[in-house]
Amino acid sequence: MASRIAAGTGPTSIESVQTSREKSQLLEPARGYPGALIVVEGIDGSGKSTQLYLLKRWLEIGGYRLHFTEWNSSPLVKSATRRGKKRRLLTPTTFSLLHAADFADRCERQIMPLLHSGYLVLADRYVYTAFARDVARSCSPRWLRNLYRFAPIPDITFYFRAPLDVAVNRIMSGRPKLKYYEAGMDLNLSLDRAESFRIFQGRILAQYDEMIESDRFVVMDGALPVNKLQKQMRQFVKSRIDLSRFAPKKAARRPR
Amino acid sequence: MTPVRRNRKNGRPKSALPHAGASARNYGLPLPGMPDEEFGGSLIVIEGMDGSGRSTQISLLTEWLESEGFAVETMGLRRSGLVAKDIDALLAENTITRMTLTLMYATDFYDQLEHRIIPALRSDFVVLADRYFYTLIARAAARGIESDYLHGLYEMALRPDLTFWLNVRPEAAFEREFRKSHTISYWESGRDLCLSDDLFQSFIMYQAKIKKEFEALSARHGFLAMDGEASVATVNTELRKRIAAHLGIQRTHYRPSAALAHLWR
Repeated sequence: MASRIAAGTGPTSIESVQTSREKSQLLEPARGYPGALIVVEGIDGSGKSTQLYLLKRWLEIGGYRLHFTEWNSSPLVKSATRRGKKRRLLTPTTFSLLHAADFADRCERQIMPLLHSGYLVLADRYVYTAFARDVARSCSPRWLRNLYRFAPIPDITFYFRAPLDVAVNRIMSGRPKLKYYEAGMDLNLSLDRAESFRIFQGRILAQYDEMIESDRFVVMDGALPVNKLQKQMRQFVKSRIDLSRFAPKKAARRPR
Repeated sequence: MTPVRRNRKNGRPKSALPHAGASARNYGLPLPGMPDEEFGGSLIVIEGMDGSGRSTQISLLTEWLESEGFAVETMGLRRSGLVAKDIDALLAENTITRMTLTLMYATDFYDQLEHRIIPALRSDFVVLADRYFYTLIARAAARGIESDYLHGLYEMALRPDLTFWLNVRPEAAFEREFRKSHTISYWESGRDLCLSDDLFQSFIMYQAKIKKEFEALSARHGFLAMDGEASVATVNTELRKRIAAHLGIQRTHYRPSAALAHLWR
C-alpha cells in the first residue's frame, strides 16, 4: 500500500544528506510502487519552476523515463476554474475544492498510474501549495489534510525559500497586472492589488515555513545563483533516488 | 444523532436557545470567510433514490408551504451556478474517476450552500433540499471511498432541521423510473462499477449498495425514514404533519391545486 500524505517524521536538509551519504539513505522508501515523485514548492517568484525545468532537462538529456506535471493544469476542471475566477464566484471553500478536484484528476489519471509503471514524476507544486495557500485563505488545516489524503507522499519535496521582497519583486517586474485571486483580493487585505499580493504571499510563506519539519521539506536557498542551486538539487536527487531504475534499458548505467 | 432544532422558527421572535452562530448548525467546522452569524429559516432535506417520489413531494410541499405563507427555496444536486454544467459534461464523457467526481460534487454542494441555502436562511426562507450531501457520501462510499474521508469533506455543511428518507425497494424504484422515462441512467444504475452487464441487475445491485450506505447514514444522522412505496397522498400527509410541527403550523389540511392535481395519486 502506498503511503499517503500525513504528518512527516522530522526535518531533512541538504547539509544532513550531503555530509552523510550512507548506504541506507540510497534505499528507496517503501512506497508500494516502483516510481518516484519529486516535488518543488515555494511562493511565486521563489525560482522553483526554473529549477525544476533545469532538473527535467538534465534528466531528459540523460534519457530517463520521466513525466512532468503542473499544479492546476487538468483540462477537465479548467473551464469551471476559469468561470469561477472570471465571475468571482469562488469562496475559500469552493476555490479549494476545485483545485482538489483538478489535482484528483491528475493524480488518478496520470501520477498514480505512472508511479505504478515505474516513472520518475516531477511535479511543479503539489498538495503543499493547497495547504499553504488555502490556510492563508482561512480554510481549516485539518479539513485540508483530510481533503488531500489520497495523494502519494513525495520522495523528495524541495522547498525554495526566497526572501519575500526578492520573490515579490521578481513577479512584479515580469507580470505587471496581477489577477484578482492571485493577488488574494478576495481576502480584503488591501484595496491596492500589489499591496494585497504582498501581504497574501507573506501569509503563504509563513504557512510553508510551518511545514518544513512536519512534511520533511528540503530547504533550498532561493537567493543563491541559479547554476549553484541546480548543482545542489541534482546532487540531492542522486543521493536520494537510484536513478539507474529510470534509465533506458539499453544504455543502463548507474550515475555516480 | 437527532436533527438539531434551530433557535428560531418562522414568524416568531428568537427563542432563548443559546447558539454560537453558524457553528452550532454545522458538522464541526465553520465555513471559512463567512461571518459568525445567527440566522433563521429552516432546512428540510428529502432523500431517496431516483423513483422514490422525492421530486413529486417537493413540488407538493412547496405549494403547501407557500399557501401557508412561507417563502420556499429549493436546492438539489448538480444545480450550482459554478460547476453544474461541468459535471454534466464530465458525466457524459465518462472518463472521470471517482475522486474527481466526488470532489466536483462537493464543489457543487458547497457553492449552493454558500450562494443559495445560507442567503435564503438569512432571509427566513424554508429551504427544501431535493437530496443533500448524504447521497453524495452514499455514492462515493459505494465506490470504495472511506466514510471518514467523506464525512470530513462535509464538515462545514449545515445540519438540516429535518431529514426525510423516502425508502423504497430498488425493484419498485426501477419500475417507476422506467415507466417515467423508458430508460435507466448510466450513473443511477452504477454502470461504472461493472456489477452486471444486464441493466436491470446492475441497477438493483447498485441501489442495494446505496441503500446499505443509507442505513448507516440514517443511524448516524437521525433520518426520519418513510415508506416511499405508500401512495403520494399518504407520504405527503406524513411529511406535512412532521413539517407542520416543526414550523408551528396549526392547520395541516391541503389539497393540491389544479396545476399539481395530476401528482396526487
